[in-house]
Amino acid sequence: MELPQQHSDPHQTRPEQPELDLYTIPSHSSWFLWDEIHETERVALKEFFDGSSFSRTPKIYKEYRDFIINKYREEPSRRLTFTEVRKSLVGDVNLLHRVFSFLEKWGLINFGAPSGGGDGDGSEVLGEEGSNKVRFEEGVPNGIRVVATPNSIKPISAQATSGNKVEPVDSGVKLPPLASYSDLFTDLMKQKELVCGNCGDRCGSGHYKYTKGDFLICTKCFKNGTYGENKSVDDYKFIDCIQDTGNHEAVWTESETLLLLESVLMYGDDWELVAQNVPTKTKPDCIAKLIELPLGEILGPATHRKGNSNDLNGNLNISKQTQSTSSEIQATVKSEDQHVEKTNGSEQNGDAVEHGPPLKRQRIATLSSPAGSLMEQVALLSTMVGPHITAAAAEAAVTSLCEENSYSKEIFYGDDDSDGPQTLIADAEAKRVLEVEDAEMEGGQTQSDSQDKPFEKDDMPMTLRIRTSVATALGAAAARAKLLADQEEREIEHLVATIIGTEMKKLHCKIKHFEDLEVIMKKKYAVMEEIEDILLAERISVLQKAFKDGIPRWKDHPFVKS
Amino acid sequence: MKGQASAYWKASAVKFRIPTAQNLVPIRLDIEVDGQRFRDAFTWNPCDPDSEIVVFAKRTVKDLKLPPVFVTHIASSIQSQLADFRSFEGQDMYAGEKIVPIKLDLRVNHTLIKDHFLWDMNNFESDPEEFAKTFCRDLGIQDPEVAPAIAFAIREQLYEIVIQSVASARESRISKKGRRGADHTPASKAGGATLDLVKLFGHRSSVVRKRKEWDVYEPIVDLLSNEEMDALEAREERNAR
Repeated sequence: MELPQQHSDPHQTRPEQPELDLYTIPSHSSWFLWDEIHETERVALKEFFDGSSFSRTPKIYKEYRDFIINKYREEPSRRLTFTEVRKSLVGDVNLLHRVFSFLEKWGLINFGAPSGGGDGDGSEVLGEEGSNKVRFEEGVPNGIRVVATPNSIKPISAQATSGNKVEPVDSGVKLPPLASYSDLFTDLMKQKELVCGNCGDRCGSGHYKYTKGDFLICTKCFKNGTYGENKSVDDYKFIDCIQDTGNHEAVWTESETLLLLESVLMYGDDWELVAQNVPTKTKPDCIAKLIELPLGEILGPATHRKGNSNDLNGNLNISKQTQSTSSEIQATVKSEDQHVEKTNGSEQNGDAVEHGPPLKRQRIATLSSPAGSLMEQVALLSTMVGPHITAAAAEAAVTSLCEENSYSKEIFYGDDDSDGPQTLIADAEAKRVLEVEDAEMEGGQTQSDSQDKPFEKDDMPMTLRIRTSVATALGAAAARAKLLADQEEREIEHLVATIIGTEMKKLHCKIKHFEDLEVIMKKKYAVMEEIEDILLAERISVLQKAFKDGIPRWKDHPFVKS
Repeated sequence: MKGQASAYWKASAVKFRIPTAQNLVPIRLDIEVDGQRFRDAFTWNPCDPDSEIVVFAKRTVKDLKLPPVFVTHIASSIQSQLADFRSFEGQDMYAGEKIVPIKLDLRVNHTLIKDHFLWDMNNFESDPEEFAKTFCRDLGIQDPEVAPAIAFAIREQLYEIVIQSVASARESRISKKGRRGADHTPASKAGGATLDLVKLFGHRSSVVRKRKEWDVYEPIVDLLSNEEMDALEAREERNAR
C-alpha cells in the first residue's frame, strides 16, 4: 500500500519510514492489533459478538474495521467521513455508523486529520468551530504508538518521537493530560524535558514551578504574565534549569555524595557497582565526582587508605616504568628518586628521622622496591658493561649536559680545573671501578653505590648529579645493548659455522659412498675380463681339438676372432 | 434463507413498533383549502397525549399565518394518521433477520438527494436522525432542512416496511393454523424487498463491496439553480394533473 505521506498539518508528528508506512495512533489505542479483536472492541460493539444475528459476526466486524482503517490510511491527512465509507460496505448503516464512530473515538481513524467544520457531537473538535487546527492533548506525541501496516504481525515498539509540542498558542481550551499518561510518565517527562504548560515550548534556560501543583511555565510566559488560570505570580518559584537536556554536568546533592562515598568504600575501584549503587548518576559522573572530592582532608582513615592504595598503584606503575624503560624517565621521577636515595640512607642508619618530603612521598619511597632506584640501575648496568664503557658513556653524557648550559660546565670542570676533562674521565673511571669492586664484594647488594656517590661529589648540585647519572645510565644501557648485540652476532656466527660443518660432513659421506661404488665396479670389471679370457682359452682348445680331428667347420663359427 | 428465517422466528417475535431507537410516527400533511396548500412532514411521538395535537395545529397555523380553517384540518390529519399507527400496535410483526434497502430520492428546497443503503429492521437502536445529521455533515450540506427531511424519508419507508411485516406475520400465523407443520413460505416472502442475507453475509462473500458497486450506493447530492428549480416544479405540477 503506497501512501502519500502528506504533512498538511505541520503539528503532526508522523515518523516516516519508507518501507513500513508508519501511522500514528493515540497511545490509548495501543491495544489495537490487526490480527485480533480486543476486549475493548468486544465490549463497545457487543452486537457483533453475542451471536444474535447472522449479519453481525466477529468476522464481519473485523472486515468492517479493517476496511475503514485501511480506507482512512489511504490518505491519512484527510478526514474520512462515514458517508464515504458506507457506500463500500454491505450492512446496516446504523451498525456501520457505530463501528465508524467507535474507531473514530479511539483515534484509529481520523486521528490528527483536520476535523470537518460544524461537528455536532463535539468529541473530536474542541474550541471554535471551523478551525482547522487540531489541538493535541499535551504530551500525546510522546506517547504516540506506531503501528505497522496491515498484515504485518506485530506493532513496532514505540519510537521515541521527540516531543513536538503541538499546541497552538491561541488555543483557548486546553485539555488536561490523560490521566494514564501523566500517571505513567510524569517522572520521565520531568527528567527529560520541562515543557511549559502555557505555550508548550521547552524550558531551556529555566522555568517557574507552580508551587501549588504540578505545573510549570517557561520564563518567557512568566515575563509576559501568562500564569494560567487561577494562578498568580506568588505561586511560582523560579527553578534554574541546570539539568538541561544533553548536559551531563551532573549536580550532586549531599545525599548522593554520601551514597557515592559509601559505595566506594564498599566496592572500591569497581565503578560499575559503585554507579549501580548510586542510581541517579552515571559511572563517569561518579568517577569525576570522586576525583573532585577533597578526600584526604575530610574523610576518615578508611578512605585515606583507599586513596593511598590508589596512589600506590600509580607509583608502582611509575617505578615499573623506570625499571623497564629508562628512557621514559621524567622530571617527577627524578625528584622521587632523590627521595628514594634519602630514605634508603635513613633506613640503613636505622634512623627514623623525618625528612622534608610530604607524608605521601615517604610512603611511596618505603613501599616501592629498592630495585626501582635509578642509581642502582646505573650501578648494575655499569658492572655489566665494564668500567671503560661506563666511563665513556659518562663522559659523553657530561659533555652533552655541558652543551646545554654553561652552569653545569662550571660545575663539572670547575673543581677539576687543573686537570681538565682527562682527569674527570679518570676520576669517573676510578669511581666506576670502585663501584664494581663494591658490587662484587657485596655480592649484588648495590645499595652502597648510591651512598658512594654523594660522598664523592657532594659539592655538586643534586639535580645535576641526577642528570649526569641519568645520562650515564643511558650510555650504559646503550653499551649493554651493544654487548648483547655482539653476543647475539657471535651466536649467529657460531650457528652458521655449525650448519656449514654439517653440510660438509654430509658431502664427505656422499663422496665416500661413491668411491666405494667405484671400487666395486672395478672389481666386477676385473672378474668379467677373467671370465672372458677363460672362455677364449676354452674356445681355442676346442678348435685345436677340432683341427686335430680334421673336421673343417669354419663357416659355423664366423665370429671367432683373436 | 427460509431456514434461517424460521429459525429466528420464534425467538424474535416482536410487537409492532418502528424499528428505531425512538418510536416515532412519521406524519405527512398535505392540506389544500381554498386554493391554499399546506404541506409538511414531521414525526410524532405516539405516547404524547392527543390533546397536544390541537395545540400543535393551532401553533402551526399561528406561526405560519395560515387561515384558521387549517387548524381542524391539520389536527384531524394528524389524528387519523396516529390512529392508523395505533391500529398496528400490540400486533406481532415478522421480525426475522431482515435487512432492507432504503432508497432516498428527495428534494429539499434547492438540494436534490439520491442515496441507497441498507437498513437492519431488527436494529432497535438505529437512529435515522443521527444518520441524517452525519450525512449532511459529511457531504457538507448547509441547508438545515435537509437532515430532518432525510430522517423523515427513512422513517416513512421503515413505517411502510413495518406495516408489511405485521401483515406478513399475521399471514404466517394464519397459514400455520391452517396447515400445521407446513413451512413458512409466506414468512420469507414477507419483506418483499428483503435481501438475501446468506449471499451478503455468508462466509464466502466479503462485506466489502466490489468497486463497481460503489457508485450504486454512493449518495448523490445536487444543488439546483433557480431555473432548474422552476423547471422541476413545473414538471411536478404537470405530473400532478
